Amino acid sequence: MGRRRRRQPDPADAARALPEAIAALSRTLPAAPSPEIFRRAKFDRPEAAPALWRLLFHVLSPLSADSASVSFTLEAQVRWVKSVLHSQGYPRLALVQLQDDGSQGGRELLLALAWLLARGPLPERLLTQSHVRLGDEMPVCECEALASPGPPAPRVEAEGSVDIRHLQWLMGKLQLRWRNLMAGQQEQCALLGKNPWQRIFCSTRLSWNLSGLQLLLLCGTCPPADLPAPQTQIHSYTRGCHSDRSLGHLSVTETELLRDPEGGRQLLQRLETENARLEAALEWRHRELVFWRWMDTVLDTCPLEASPPTFLPRIPEPGAGAAGLPVRELQALQEELQALQEELRKAVEARRAAWQAAVGGHGPEWRAARRALQVAVAQDLAALQWAWEQGKGQARPHGPRRLVRTEARVPGRLGLWATEATEALRAREACLEAMLHQLQGQCRQELARLVGVRPGLIWVPPPAR
Amino acid sequence: MLPAECSRRLVAELRDALDSCAELQRQLEQSLRVSRRLLRAWEPAETPAPEPTPGPEINEEAPSSACPPSPQDLKELELLTQALEKAVRVRKGLSKAGEGVKAHSLKSGSTSPATRASAPPSTSHCAGSCAPGTKPPRGIRHPWVPAKDLPGRRLLLVGDGAHMGKGAGANKPEAGLRDQQIIPQAAPPVPEAFTLKDKGALLRLPEAFRKAASRNARLWAQLSSMQTGDSVDAAAATAKTQFLQKMQTAAGQPGSRLSSAEVGRLQKACSLLRLRMREELTADPKDWTQEYRSLLTLEGLQALVGQCLHRLQELRSVVEQPQGPWPEGPPRAASPCGGGADPMWSPQLLLYSSTEELQTLAALRLRVAMLDQQVHLEKVLPDSGAWVTVCSGGVGHGEDSRLSLLVQPPRSTREGVDEGTCECAGALGGGGGTGAWCLDSCPRLGPLKCTRPP
Repeated sequence: MGRRRRRQPDPADAARALPEAIAALSRTLPAAPSPEIFRRAKFDRPEAAPALWRLLFHVLSPLSADSASVSFTLEAQVRWVKSVLHSQGYPRLALVQLQDDGSQGGRELLLALAWLLARGPLPERLLTQSHVRLGDEMPVCECEALASPGPPAPRVEAEGSVDIRHLQWLMGKLQLRWRNLMAGQQEQCALLGKNPWQRIFCSTRLSWNLSGLQLLLLCGTCPPADLPAPQTQIHSYTRGCHSDRSLGHLSVTETELLRDPEGGRQLLQRLETENARLEAALEWRHRELVFWRWMDTVLDTCPLEASPPTFLPRIPEPGAGAAGLPVRELQALQEELQALQEELRKAVEARRAAWQAAVGGHGPEWRAARRALQVAVAQDLAALQWAWEQGKGQARPHGPRRLVRTEARVPGRLGLWATEATEALRAREACLEAMLHQLQGQCRQELARLVGVRPGLIWVPPPAR
Repeated sequence: MLPAECSRRLVAELRDALDSCAELQRQLEQSLRVSRRLLRAWEPAETPAPEPTPGPEINEEAPSSACPPSPQDLKELELLTQALEKAVRVRKGLSKAGEGVKAHSLKSGSTSPATRASAPPSTSHCAGSCAPGTKPPRGIRHPWVPAKDLPGRRLLLVGDGAHMGKGAGANKPEAGLRDQQIIPQAAPPVPEAFTLKDKGALLRLPEAFRKAASRNARLWAQLSSMQTGDSVDAAAATAKTQFLQKMQTAAGQPGSRLSSAEVGRLQKACSLLRLRMREELTADPKDWTQEYRSLLTLEGLQALVGQCLHRLQELRSVVEQPQGPWPEGPPRAASPCGGGADPMWSPQLLLYSSTEELQTLAALRLRVAMLDQQVHLEKVLPDSGAWVTVCSGGVGHGEDSRLSLLVQPPRSTREGVDEGTCECAGALGGGGGTGAWCLDSCPRLGPLKCTRPP
């Protein structure tokens, strides 16, 4: 080219920008179709629809469902995607009107995907879910404790009524499983220390310190001396090996890859795949603007939806969408808040009365001190309120953390100390216990009320412990 | 029998609970298995062969390899490769303690796996420690033994390796060689099985892996920093909000998009408030300032709860019942950690200094998970119309709330009254687990019908 028009963007670049953006998107999302499918979807071509349904399914389901996704038919996937989108507040009705066999609606699906992408950092979130963990991970935050509900596995639903004995059996089974879990966890975690004497000694010592857990720890059987001790021993033995000084020792995963090169190769491959996806995500972030402009054109090609008569505008704010929340959730929340309010009311009444009785004996410095206290408490509560208003409540980001064994209380180490995490968990445990007792109390009260209604029922309370 | 629709939900919830428990168990067992295996002696000795050989088996028949030229040749080749590797390693091991394994682990990746390849070394390894019963190793064992005391020698020539493989009772390798000895791989000394305990500190991660891992960390850091505000982001962010708004208006469906986020916030508020209340109620005030402060806090909390309730009721009056063609979706439990929080990944560490700390933490975590599940189930139960009281003891914890209820059917249908009731009492009193009795319909819905206990 003879002209030196550096400032003006090369039109060929602009033409390439969109396909490259879409290609980056396609490389970073899991199970994404080729960029060609995206283009076809804009024109509502039929072949684009199934691929996009599958993509949406993968994107919306938590990680555990990935392996199970093969067992879902396209139709099941379609229905599940529709319900999840609805519960997240997806505004367009045209999506739900698409047929369940997944054969049509490429454009609508494209819009749905764009909607999800616009709402939050979707590629990053997906990458976090499928992140290759190199360390020994332990989640310390509540949301990781149990698997989040994914698409329900296709199982045969029991038709007809359910026998109460079946329920009892299920509950008993659950209890047994928890017991086994606890015992297994103990073994995994420690086998305290490196030698058997220390093991037994430590368990006895601990039984005094941890009231709530004492039975737990004694239940968790101390395995015989010949059984090797797992995780923490591995951490101690490999001290000084890691190239990353802040970690200091190898994790079980890393040690395993040294022992088993085949597994190591697979791990390496997964790491490299993830790296490729990460690079694609970075590229996507750089290029996404042109994608959004294109999506505007896609939206423009769609006919406007007629406003359905069943929904009456109640909130005049623009940019609002249907909540689609199950009413049960709201009801449950209301009940919780009411219970909380009741408990607080009782506590406050009692304390206020006690306070009034005792307040007489304070001198003039009392007023100044009281004002100071009021200010302090107000600030405290404002901080608390800010914690939930702002959405980023917890100072610590959640997610599983890599276990690192280190000398006690070395200052300057970045990370969460196990002792602090334990404290936080204890608080939560107390909270949950209280809630459980309260709920059971409510249950009992309700039962008592019922019993009072009907003559001929005999109430046998449990033997006092 | 329980009313069908309500109880099906309960059964589904219980099954979910069992499944998540089973999943946890599975993960735990796998982790245990891996850890235990690592702490045992690694076999074969320091040679992470592609396929872990089961000890002293001498399989002349290659189970899976493609037609090998001849068993002898392969054996020789493998012997040689092993010998070479060992030599390099021991050599390096003498000069630099750490490097040996790394080099070796790199090399082992490139070794062509012959299925019977690892058999000779392990058998000869075994030869040192236990008597093998078969012929070939005996031939191999013999000449190695004296050589084991001479480390640092150079490699044996190929020919001798072949010579060795050919038959039992071959000449000593020293015959015909001058100052070349093969470093014995056979005898126990160096390939005394690798144990993490003794030599764990010598391990080094392979180069390729380290590079990939550091690149991974770097890319994540870049991605994270992009999320936290950029000039490039601003334009994209506005484009996105505009797109969302356009979607909304194009759909012609006004409503409250904010309310789902709002409800999430309220749920979070509820749990935070409850936690704080617990703290205040369990704290022990030592003087009047603390008492007063505690009182003020509780009053403040009460006011906040009132505000939340008010807001919730506003929302409820606004949000319409979802009608129309949307299918009934799975009820999604809101995570207490804030469903809307950014799941940005950054290297997060959990530091512990003693095994007890970790054990306590793990046990506590499980207990909290269990309680969480119980609370969830307890909330579901009343809805299902079955009044079932759950034995909440879990693992031997104090307050079991076992409830026994005798249900007497109406006189007209009763048969064998006294025996029936006594029998029930017996069953209830003695049994462990849950004592559960159900009434045939939900009290909110309809009249009661008492059923005979099963």
